[in-house]
Amino acid sequence: MKPQPQKAIVQVTRKFSASAERVFDAWLDPNTVGKWLFATPTGKMGKIKIDARIGGSYLIVESRDGTDVEHIGEYIEIDRPRRLVFTLKVPKYSEEITKVTVEIRALGTGCELTLTHEGVLPDYIASTTSGWNMILDQLSATL
Amino acid sequence: MPRASSLSQFTWIALADPTRRSILERLSRGEARVTELARPYAMSLNAVSKHIQVLERARLIRRRRAGREHFLSFDPDPLTSAAAWIEAQRSFWMSRLNALDALLQAEDVTTPKTSKRKDKSR
Repeated sequence: MKPQPQKAIVQVTRKFSASAERVFDAWLDPNTVGKWLFATPTGKMGKIKIDARIGGSYLIVESRDGTDVEHIGEYIEIDRPRRLVFTLKVPKYSEEITKVTVEIRALGTGCELTLTHEGVLPDYIASTTSGWNMILDQLSATL
Repeated sequence: MPRASSLSQFTWIALADPTRRSILERLSRGEARVTELARPYAMSLNAVSKHIQVLERARLIRRRRAGREHFLSFDPDPLTSAAAWIEAQRSFWMSRLNALDALLQAEDVTTPKTSKRKDKSR
């Protein structure tokens, strides 16, 4: 495997009042994932298949304006409730396979989550920026 | 996390080298000829030209020709767009995590799992 140090890295950290276990499970439970992870306000959540084991794959399909957007990948590390690593590819926008690492540590009765997304390419964001702006608008309206 | 690793591919490569950063630093103070740029460095003009090519590929350097002379200048635009791009990425993930938090808190209201759950994230 060749190293890819030139790829960009995005990192975000957020605190949750819910326990590390509940936050962790929200990433792998098909009934929960569809409500937040790749859901957009105008889209309709379609097929969700999650094989939550190391080497297992997932498929999350959302229908946006009549077009199906597939999010696919594979679980590399599953260490409940501390660490989850998976690959992410959105073939509609890019053939690039990126890697997402989720680290959760207990903090009082809640937890703190740090997400690191590696290998993201600028052309991916260029084609999805408008969608994301929409997501943000909707969120501020509901929160 | 170092800011540099958040930049786009060509920008990151261009900024990863100390010689290239020092070339940009020099050009940020004003336009210069290739030969002028190369002078302070203990390396061949050819080696300096290679560094300049990497910076040009990242669009951090502009080249102006006047007769036989080539003048180089610094273009900070890619740094700005890289920063804007990384900000959009970060916003995307933050919005997803906000949605997750809202979802988990809504669950607490409908099916409380612990009697004394307090919101500590605000």
